Amino acid sequence: MKVLVVTRSGKELIKGGLQLNDSATVADLQEAIHKRTRKYYPSRQRLTLPVQPGSKERPTVLHYQKSLSEYTKGSTSELTVVFKDLGPQVKYSTLFFFEYLGPLLLYPIFYYFPVYKYFGYKEERVIHPVQTYALYYWCFHYFKRIMETFFVHRFSHATSPISNVFRNCAYYWSFGAFIAYFVNHPLYTPVSDLQMKIGFGFGIVCQVANFYCHLLLRNLRSPSGNGGYQIPRGFLFNIVTCANYTTEIYQWLGFNIATQTVAGYVFMVVAAGIMTNWALGKHRRLKKLFDGKEGRPKYPRRWVILPPFL
Amino acid sequence: MAGILSLVRRIYLSFYNWIVFFGWFQVFYLAVKTLKESGHEHVYDAVEKPLLLAQTAAILEILHGLVGLVRSPVSATLPQISSRLYVMWGILWSFPELRSHILVSSLVISWSVTEIIRYSFFGTKEAFGSAPSWLLWLRYSTFLLLYPSGITSEVGLIYSALPYITESGKYSLRMPNKWNFSFDYYYAGLVALGIYVPGNPHMYGYMLGQRKKALSKSKKE
Repeated sequence: MKVLVVTRSGKELIKGGLQLNDSATVADLQEAIHKRTRKYYPSRQRLTLPVQPGSKERPTVLHYQKSLSEYTKGSTSELTVVFKDLGPQVKYSTLFFFEYLGPLLLYPIFYYFPVYKYFGYKEERVIHPVQTYALYYWCFHYFKRIMETFFVHRFSHATSPISNVFRNCAYYWSFGAFIAYFVNHPLYTPVSDLQMKIGFGFGIVCQVANFYCHLLLRNLRSPSGNGGYQIPRGFLFNIVTCANYTTEIYQWLGFNIATQTVAGYVFMVVAAGIMTNWALGKHRRLKKLFDGKEGRPKYPRRWVILPPFL
Repeated sequence: MAGILSLVRRIYLSFYNWIVFFGWFQVFYLAVKTLKESGHEHVYDAVEKPLLLAQTAAILEILHGLVGLVRSPVSATLPQISSRLYVMWGILWSFPELRSHILVSSLVISWSVTEIIRYSFFGTKEAFGSAPSWLLWLRYSTFLLLYPSGITSEVGLIYSALPYITESGKYSLRMPNKWNFSFDYYYAGLVALGIYVPGNPHMYGYMLGQRKKALSKSKKE
């Protein structure tokens, strides 16, 4: 079949269009576009079906695994697709690695090196036990995240625009330095021994729970990496859709109970806000996908992210 | 129903714009009068009350944008109003040592002329449906001079305030404390100065774009 590839302004991206097998998939089309345009590798391409001008409908995005004939509505042997360049892309694992590396390396700098003299403080300082445990806890957390990125998480096929590397690293690295500055400060005031133990103890339990959640999520997807969504089940997922975010937030709560800094709490609130946004999207997507019609299971009644609030 | 709501909106906005216009007119009048009669050292004291009122009232404009009463995006109004409130309350009102500075006069004149034009423009539009082309021209052209003069005054005053900020320790929180938090208003001032560096080309560029849009639209009509 013949495929015409146009840009959103209507111009033909590939003069004369492309010739593909009738049985070709969207992935084949993306390969063909890449061959002709060199610059636009498949993960940079966003292909949609044209919408009527003035229509408020969201355009249908072509899914890379589907066959092209699914989009031609059967009758025609010619298909027009609209192309959008998503810009240079990076793998999610690359993005995560760099955003987590910052906190992992920056925090110990405030603990081990005499940085506070540059802020005008005397060099001598007493290191409280809680500050040492906080260092271990924090570094373990980000080490765990990096390990999960490479060995546990199964990402959907998607990549991320390279601009997100700068945005995400700014977020993680800035907050990392912000918290590290206060917890390792020469004038840091520790909480009681009991409060510290409760905080770190609770935090560790939540980190273990969080790891288990990640294992459960991993098993929902097959190793061939074709993404897709299933109803999560087991452990805390039976009561809350995004149990992985729940345990992550509570794990930060544990850290903050033990270290008690405004900076730590601010970070936790911001992170909870970001995760809540994602959780709402995921919860809605799952409810829409699993609507109970046409033999599909119905998504069960569950909390979104933070029982008993949401 | 929609017709009545739209009318209420128009009446409210007309009142709002003309009342604040009057406040800024007072500021301008008192500033010029004081400059002529007593000198720049006394300008702040003369304009303080209407200035604080008229500028603080602008917080309502953020609300107007948020609820959709006006079209201006919150992303443009919020930084503008924040910087005004910071300079006015956070610098001038908080540090009386600055009030006799000559930049106070240039600040107050720049702000008041801009606002007189802006509020009368919107007030006329809401009350009468449209504004005369000379007012449109003024609203989208005087910023070309008044933005730089206003910003120079703002930056100059923040910079002049720095030694007084350090000396007074105002608005700063020191460690040690139970919540392991500190805030240094001096560094916050440096950050504010830093924000002016990319912030102002951005705002100026935004206004230039608005000017192009507004003046070309009126040519077509």
